Amino acid sequence: MSHYYEEMEESFRNSFEPAPGPVAEAKIRPWEKTQLVGKGVPRVDGYERVSGAAQYTADIVLPDMLYAAILRCPHAHAMVKSIDTSAAEKMPGVLAVLSGKSPGADLPWYGGKAAQSKLFDTHCRHEGEEVAAVAALTPYQAADALRAIRVEYETLPFVLDPAAMQPSAPKLYEGGNAVGEPRIVKRGDVAQGFAEADVVLEETFYTSVQMHATMEAHGSVAKWDGDKLTLWDSTQGVYDGVLFGAARALNMPFNKIRVICKYMGGGFGAKLEVGKYSIIAALLARKTGRPVKAMLPREDTFLCTGNRPEARMTLKAGVKKDGTLTALQLTNLSTPGAYASGTSVGYQVAELYKCPNVLVSESGYYSNAGRARPFRAPGFPSGNWCLEQMMDMLAVKLGMDPVELRLKNFTEVSQTRQVPYTSTGLKECLLQGAKAFGWQEARAAKKSDGPVRRGFGMAAGMWSGGNGSPPYTAEVRLFVDGGITIKTGAMDIGTGTKTVACMVAAEELGVPLESVRIENADTAVTPYGQSSGGSMTLPGLIPAVRKGAWLVKQQLLAWGAEALGVPAEDVELKGNAIGSRSAPDKKKPLEELLRANGVMDVIGIGNRDPNPPKKAINPFGAHFAEVEVNTRTGEVRVVRLLGANESGRVINQKTFHNQVFGGMTQCLGFALTEKRVLDRQTGKMVNANLHDYKVPTALDVPVQHQVVAVDPQDTECNLVGCKGLGEPAHIPTASAIANAIYDAVGVRPTHGPMEPKTILELLAKKKRG
Amino acid sequence: MMKPFAYLKAKTPAEALAALNSKGARIHAGGTDLLGCLHDHLFTVDKVVSISGIKEWSGMTGRPDGGLKIGCLTTIASIAASAVLKEKYAVLAQAASEVASPQLREQGTIGGNLCQRPRCWYYRGDFPCARKGGETCFAVEGENQNHAIFSNGPCFFVHPSDTAVALSALQARLTVAGPAGTRTVPIESFFLAPEKAIDRENVLEPAEILTEIHLPAPAAGARSSYRKIRSRQSWDFALTSVALWLQVDKGMVSQARCWLGGVAPAPWRAAAAEKLLAGKKLNAALAASAGQAAAEGAVPMRDNAYKVEMVKGAVEESLLRLLA
Ligand SMILES: Cc1cc2nc3c(=O)[nH]c(=O)nc-3n(C[C@H](O)[C@H](O)[C@H](O)COP(=O)(O)OP(=O)(O)OC[C@H]3O[C@@H](n4cnc5c(N)ncnc54)[C@H](O)[C@@H]3O)c2cc1C
Repeated sequence: MSHYYEEMEESFRNSFEPAPGPVAEAKIRPWEKTQLVGKGVPRVDGYERVSGAAQYTADIVLPDMLYAAILRCPHAHAMVKSIDTSAAEKMPGVLAVLSGKSPGADLPWYGGKAAQSKLFDTHCRHEGEEVAAVAALTPYQAADALRAIRVEYETLPFVLDPAAMQPSAPKLYEGGNAVGEPRIVKRGDVAQGFAEADVVLEETFYTSVQMHATMEAHGSVAKWDGDKLTLWDSTQGVYDGVLFGAARALNMPFNKIRVICKYMGGGFGAKLEVGKYSIIAALLARKTGRPVKAMLPREDTFLCTGNRPEARMTLKAGVKKDGTLTALQLTNLSTPGAYASGTSVGYQVAELYKCPNVLVSESGYYSNAGRARPFRAPGFPSGNWCLEQMMDMLAVKLGMDPVELRLKNFTEVSQTRQVPYTSTGLKECLLQGAKAFGWQEARAAKKSDGPVRRGFGMAAGMWSGGNGSPPYTAEVRLFVDGGITIKTGAMDIGTGTKTVACMVAAEELGVPLESVRIENADTAVTPYGQSSGGSMTLPGLIPAVRKGAWLVKQQLLAWGAEALGVPAEDVELKGNAIGSRSAPDKKKPLEELLRANGVMDVIGIGNRDPNPPKKAINPFGAHFAEVEVNTRTGEVRVVRLLGANESGRVINQKTFHNQVFGGMTQCLGFALTEKRVLDRQTGKMVNANLHDYKVPTALDVPVQHQVVAVDPQDTECNLVGCKGLGEPAHIPTASAIANAIYDAVGVRPTHGPMEPKTILELLAKKKRG
Repeated sequence: MMKPFAYLKAKTPAEALAALNSKGARIHAGGTDLLGCLHDHLFTVDKVVSISGIKEWSGMTGRPDGGLKIGCLTTIASIAASAVLKEKYAVLAQAASEVASPQLREQGTIGGNLCQRPRCWYYRGDFPCARKGGETCFAVEGENQNHAIFSNGPCFFVHPSDTAVALSALQARLTVAGPAGTRTVPIESFFLAPEKAIDRENVLEPAEILTEIHLPAPAAGARSSYRKIRSRQSWDFALTSVALWLQVDKGMVSQARCWLGGVAPAPWRAAAAEKLLAGKKLNAALAASAGQAAAEGAVPMRDNAYKVEMVKGAVEESLLRLLA
């Protein structure tokens, strides 16, 4: 598991005791039949999103609001010698200028295990580090004022690549550039495993730095009312991310800060922590006594809001003639950039297949580049890139079908934890995916030997998260007219959480979906929910929602049974009344029932129960790709994609399909076009814009894009039987495309992305022999 | 700080020419390139002269000699959609349809497309490069995978315009209006190599406007095509492109024009390929040799040798497709 998630889980898992529910607990059983859950339901906030009524952080405009702009270091490595803000301060419309010397702005940053720095650090370790900030009446005045600030830098030598490990390399920190000790995962004895193998292969792989490139930029709007601060923030976590982070930075109590994020335009991991921009907005707002909006320009988001780090991987694999894996050995060297962040990629190597002997060794170095952050399944597309291409290489060498080879090494027991999975759909994803794709027919068909070649490839994958865990609280409230409102601090970062929560409450209470409303992600009014990360929102929150609804129902049934004089099992909720199933004439308006019990609403507080002990909970998937490769020009066209994913119960077919489409599309960019390019002469990024940094366009996504939703009927993992999907849907796509390219032209694209350049260079090398 | 500038919307050609005849004045046609340049502080302006309201410079009309006149304000989208162009000057319609993205094609004009500034990431980025008055071309030692394989330096950008390559293959003539009247410039001599001028990409003087593009009458037996190779399917400049124009007589290529985009600071004429093709009957072997010939003289940099292969493959493929 990537370090980030480990830390996140550790720190929050044990810090909150679940509160007892209002009614003595009976047992919640899995649903036997469902009315709504499992159908394809449009999003409950679809209208707001398409009509423009939805207010994103970027849309917030407040009376008297000022606009902030942040001055960033233009050098890869430099010391700030002096800052002269006098000219900027005198410019029209400028109300405040902030630097590390301003009162209250000398704040530590990147605390904890990560390297120490400051909100405005005089030691700038990469291009884009924050140096000063201004607040002005208009965004243009603010931008102009930045250009009037005079900064004297002493530029320092910089390092971008593994040369950072040399003793002579420029140092980012006193203690040197190594990021801690190498991280080792060991099982069995790989030497023995390789000795037992009939075939041993070794290959080196590389994946480039991928940028999050979220549609909505990062930003925050800050407003003070006396000693109370409100932050509208584009975030994946109003609590863990912004509230706790801002409270720590500003040394304020939690209940004095209100963080709101109702709609979010994409995060993918880059918005899990409080941003410097949020704190800068708060400080400028305090200084000026007016609300301040700090939305980052697009270019800035490329420099300093995170990325998926590169990976330099060497994988050695041993296999018997019959396809049984005997040993896997991986080394990975990577850099999180200038500040600590997870760079591990080895999880799937140690976990996806049954393999008795495994050795994974990963290390990292600091470099003068923007810091990595978790990015949709941190480490997994990269680790998958080497593991699943290696599986393909083994299959070729053994003359075995790639799907067959994976089935051969299938396991129902977690290899790293040595406990069974509550469910694993890997086998079904492979089988159902291959069938729906027409895998065997496609691979058997005769290949053209013309200049444009067609190929078919596949890859399997799994995700270390997707389990969900306490704490999560959902408040489910029944009004006397039968309407329901759910309140939760959980996020909907575009994934459809709100819709699924409403469906589950409606299912449990037997009410129509239209009767359910949800309010989320406002720390002043909604109870705690974790950040959206690790594909843990749905499996974390949704069982709590079901529990809250169930508690409401238990209360109603108990009161109803008493009032109607029938057994509780015979009571049902019907619109704004309760009635008896067996005697339809026995009923009572809800309002009467509730008033008789001294209330006007019934509130169920659903807390997330712990996961079952001694079990592993993980989602799985298998992706299939068909490509055309033009051997003359190096162009790759992905003509068909299929994603077979298993993430426990399929609650909403529509949002399930959405996640798989979106995850695969983002991984298609990772496969074919996306990479950060740093200029080796200056250490500066040359493609920090959406034109030179190439995310896929609508025309790059294949028209034939199919989803196979595999439902393993998991009754063990949690009250709803669901696991997370956002990240697993993103993991094996690039590997499947790489394997399809190999199938088409017989060259192995070990280094991503697979641009026309990459393909032509490989073909030229092959021709030279 | 962005320098304040005046804005004037000209109603007539005369008004535009007069307004432009002052220091720091710049034409604004569709603005899709100009505004990006100003936003990125590539240069400053004192006066922005919008010409978008000048009707005379918009649209296409037939010429008495059977050729075609295209006004500089004609949008890329309408060029891509024109039935006449598709039939008689396919290379231009095809090139236009591959430009940028639908929004940009609707807004961008052909005049602006020919006069757009380089897209080199050093020029556009925060680098004091030679073209911006600095001392070096960062591409020489830097990240040059997109840069020129045909350039004598000192700058190695590749000309970004797709339509320029197509118009070169069509031997278009450009009408240029200025304070001293109008002149006609063959497109072949419109673009300036960096060794001739480092701060501009064509022969236009500051107060001049490219007003019209003239295409010769379509020759009998002529056919043409445009092929663009890029990393993604839309919203992307050419890694390499090929504009082909062939005159075929009884199966023989009587005349060939082969121009390349994405490989040089101006549309690049693959003269050796043209010579090889002329007077021959096209077959697979000839197409392959023409591809080889097209790449003759290329001097790749560290990261762009793949473009040499790409040129060969793209020329070969284009020839075979055009004669299929
Ligand atoms: C994201 C993006 C992607 C693009 N991709 C491509 C692509 O793939 N292929 C391609 O070919 N182009 C591409 N372009 C360029 C695009 O086609 C041009 O921006 C557009 O054609 C310019 O037209 P315009 O009318 O908007 O020019 P403007 O922005 O108005 O002008 C551009 C420049 O030319 C000058 N100018 C304009 N008209 C005249 C004239 N008549 N006489 C003299 N000078 C003039 C202006 O002063 C200015 O300097 C892209 C542009 C963008 C922004």
